[in-house]
Amino acid sequence: MKNLTLLLIVLISFQGIGQSKYQKGMTKAFELWQTDKSWDAANMFERIVTAEPDNWLPPFYAAQINVFNSFSEKDKTKVTEQLGKARDFINDAMAISKENAEIIVLEAQWYTAWIVFDGQQYGMKYSAKVAELYQKAMLLDPENPRVVMGKTEWDMRSAKFFGQPVDKYCPELQRAVGLYDTYETKGEFHPRGGKEYAQSVVEKTCKE
Amino acid sequence: MKASKKQLIVITFMTLFASLVPYWVLGQTTISGTVTEANGTPILGANVYLDGTYDGASSDEAGNFSFETTEAGIQTLTVSFVSFETFIMAADVSQLKNITVALREDVNSLDTVVLSAGTFEASDNSKISVLKPLDVVTTASALGDFVGALQTLPGTTTVAEDGRLFVRGGDAGETQIFIDGIRVFTPYSPTTNNTPTRGRYSPFLFDGITFSTGGYSAEYGQALSSVLLLSTIDEPDQEKTDIAIMSVGGGLGHTQKWKRNSLSVNASYINLAPYIAALPDRNDWQRPFETISGEAVFRQQFEKGLLKVYGAFDRTNFRLKQEDINDLSGVDFKLNNNNLYTNLSYSGDLSSSWKIFGGGSYTMAKNKLGIEFTNIEDTENSTHLKIKLRKCFSSRFKLSFGAEQFLTDFKEGVEGEVFNGFYGYNNNMSVAFSEADIIFSRKFAIKLGLRGEYSDLFSEFTISPRVSVAYKTSKNSQLSLAYGDFYQQPNSEILKFTKELQAKKTQHFILNYQYSANNRIFRAEAYRKEYKSLISYDTEMPRFNSNYSNNGDGFAQGIDLFWRDDESIKNVDYWVSYSLLDTERKYKNYPIAAIPSFANTHNLSVVAKYWINDWKSQVGFSYQYGSGRSYTDINKSGFLQDKTKGYNSISLNWAYLISQQKILYFSINNVTGFKNVNGYQYADMPDANGVFNRRSLLPAADQFFFVGFFWTISDDGTDNQLDKL
Repeated sequence: MKNLTLLLIVLISFQGIGQSKYQKGMTKAFELWQTDKSWDAANMFERIVTAEPDNWLPPFYAAQINVFNSFSEKDKTKVTEQLGKARDFINDAMAISKENAEIIVLEAQWYTAWIVFDGQQYGMKYSAKVAELYQKAMLLDPENPRVVMGKTEWDMRSAKFFGQPVDKYCPELQRAVGLYDTYETKGEFHPRGGKEYAQSVVEKTCKE
Repeated sequence: MKASKKQLIVITFMTLFASLVPYWVLGQTTISGTVTEANGTPILGANVYLDGTYDGASSDEAGNFSFETTEAGIQTLTVSFVSFETFIMAADVSQLKNITVALREDVNSLDTVVLSAGTFEASDNSKISVLKPLDVVTTASALGDFVGALQTLPGTTTVAEDGRLFVRGGDAGETQIFIDGIRVFTPYSPTTNNTPTRGRYSPFLFDGITFSTGGYSAEYGQALSSVLLLSTIDEPDQEKTDIAIMSVGGGLGHTQKWKRNSLSVNASYINLAPYIAALPDRNDWQRPFETISGEAVFRQQFEKGLLKVYGAFDRTNFRLKQEDINDLSGVDFKLNNNNLYTNLSYSGDLSSSWKIFGGGSYTMAKNKLGIEFTNIEDTENSTHLKIKLRKCFSSRFKLSFGAEQFLTDFKEGVEGEVFNGFYGYNNNMSVAFSEADIIFSRKFAIKLGLRGEYSDLFSEFTISPRVSVAYKTSKNSQLSLAYGDFYQQPNSEILKFTKELQAKKTQHFILNYQYSANNRIFRAEAYRKEYKSLISYDTEMPRFNSNYSNNGDGFAQGIDLFWRDDESIKNVDYWVSYSLLDTERKYKNYPIAAIPSFANTHNLSVVAKYWINDWKSQVGFSYQYGSGRSYTDINKSGFLQDKTKGYNSISLNWAYLISQQKILYFSINNVTGFKNVNGYQYADMPDANGVFNRRSLLPAADQFFFVGFFWTISDDGTDNQLDKL
């Protein structure tokens, strides 16, 4: 009996020390992403989607990789396929987690990818949609640096297009940079990135 | 039963132990193999994994994959890669070694052949789009009319004074218009006989337009030549208020959104009086054209479907003295038209493979006409009901079937010095249709359809087969063939006087070639159309005492060419359409087979749009040419033996974005002021020299100017009405 209890304790601690499969999988996927194997990372996230049907993070990242990679893609067939795939994952994530500002920002980026790909065709059509999504995200999570950054950058683009000065957006951009340090990430593997990019935008836009 | 502490520990231990067994005892199994295309080409980057586990890998350059798993027993191996069908196999993990997986191409992918014969689409998603939704409203000659933009496509004939769609040797009545799959019975606004009409419905409510110039689906009927399918927006982007101030009137619109539903309303008032006072046209107006209209769309989203309710009402008045060679003081003509259209449709999923669509429309159109001392009043009440089911057996085989009911009640009363009368008809029709889409591979697809129509009025049953085949000849090009039988009943002009008739019939044979790559599209289409059972009569106009029969016939054949290029010149998007038409028919009161006056041999359109970034402006250009149209010179022997000179018009427009929300818009039609003649009217009596005098049928105005200011008020201040222009 004593031995049995001991064994039990050993076993429990064995389970406790090791990471869960989920943690291992997510960590591995982020490693792949950071080492420029973004498609392998996307595949990894896709696999986690099937194993964790109630978690919005795997489909969120699977979609994000497809969206981000579309920004630099010029081939129409590829863009259509990638954004089509991203759309499915965004829908999956939204079905799991409703009214989630991070997913709404990603959806806005999804529309922005189309505009970047063909401004003449999609610019007029999707601009209003993007603006509306940032507005909605802002209401849900006003202190989220990615929301603030996304919305400000979008407003700045519109102003630039109409030849209006953009330096008035600097305080908001700087606030966004600050928010990256103060915003409390809601859990393990939740989105946390974007600070370096935000700083680079501030450096480009606000010279003083 | 209460388990003792000891038992509980044992159970816990057993459970834990069992879950850990594979780690220790069985160890790990390696799963490996190769992923290829059907022809053996290795696939790089395919995602291979055991479903529901974390175990998997991506395939390498040689298509090889290998990963270890701690799972045991029967597991589901999944292999997925974009644009291929996902491969799923259940097997014992121990057998998943050195397997070869050949992925089947996904026929839903972009590379798949499309059944495109006869069809033009304006949408974002379709592979066969030749127009973008915005084109409808940014084409210079179109003046914001969706029909106007389609008149720059091949297959249409320039009938400048009419404004409706004349397709491939067919008259305007041979084209039917549908909103969200439901028939529109009175799509055009009334106008004077020398001013083109416009579509009644504002283009900004629609985000998809399919224009078929022949060989269309069995889902649509009662159109000898063509169908135009409009779909309303599913979900508006944002809440906003639109204000329009134009040289011819004004408009006000508002969109309100809630969580799962939204409402858009739009009202406009057009009055040509100020414009005509400033720039008088050839008409002697007593009361210039005035129309007031309102539209509303309500959308409700359900868990598995979408309900849309659309309603539009408009009221038009005008009165003028029409020029007439037989009456020097002119013919007094007045019109009062009230039109109500409502349309309700639901589309949704019944299960993962069954889709349902149901809908209906109701039209109430009242016309009061006064011609000199004769008053005519007609009322049309029409309803269309439709239900359609679609079963998706696989991505390669889909079957749809449905039923329709059309009900029309038409009444007309005439009150005049010479004739008083009251007549009308009830026309009910029941329809069943079915269609199968079979995609054999990405290269080869076929669509088979059958439509049966029973007319209560004629006690006649007709069956129309439809076939369409497409074959991909290379990565960017394809060939399509289409054949179909089409029936249509005579219109109210005839039906109000007689019911002893049958449906008119056409047969379409179409061969289509399409090349599209890199924002460039080329299309060439050759066709032949046989007309049978057309209506003939023995009087100058259809009358209550005419003798009617179905012994008219005819043909139309030709070649349509289309080229669009959005790539070669920076910031310039242009297209060129050319149609060659050879047609003759013997119908109505024609003594011989002849080219009808609405058909001509050559039609050419050139449309270009140039975006000037520094000026925040889009400048548009369009040129339209139509060769001469036939007319009868009664001073010579023969019938429809002469031709007018060709039609030419150059239109320009300029949209200037003052700010995100304010747009200034100018447009001029026929900039160079070509003097176009649409035909001639001959005197009833010869003059002293025995010559019948004639008068040219000229447009009301050679040129048309338009200035508008459009302002959108929305919360975030980025939307504007450019897409409305």
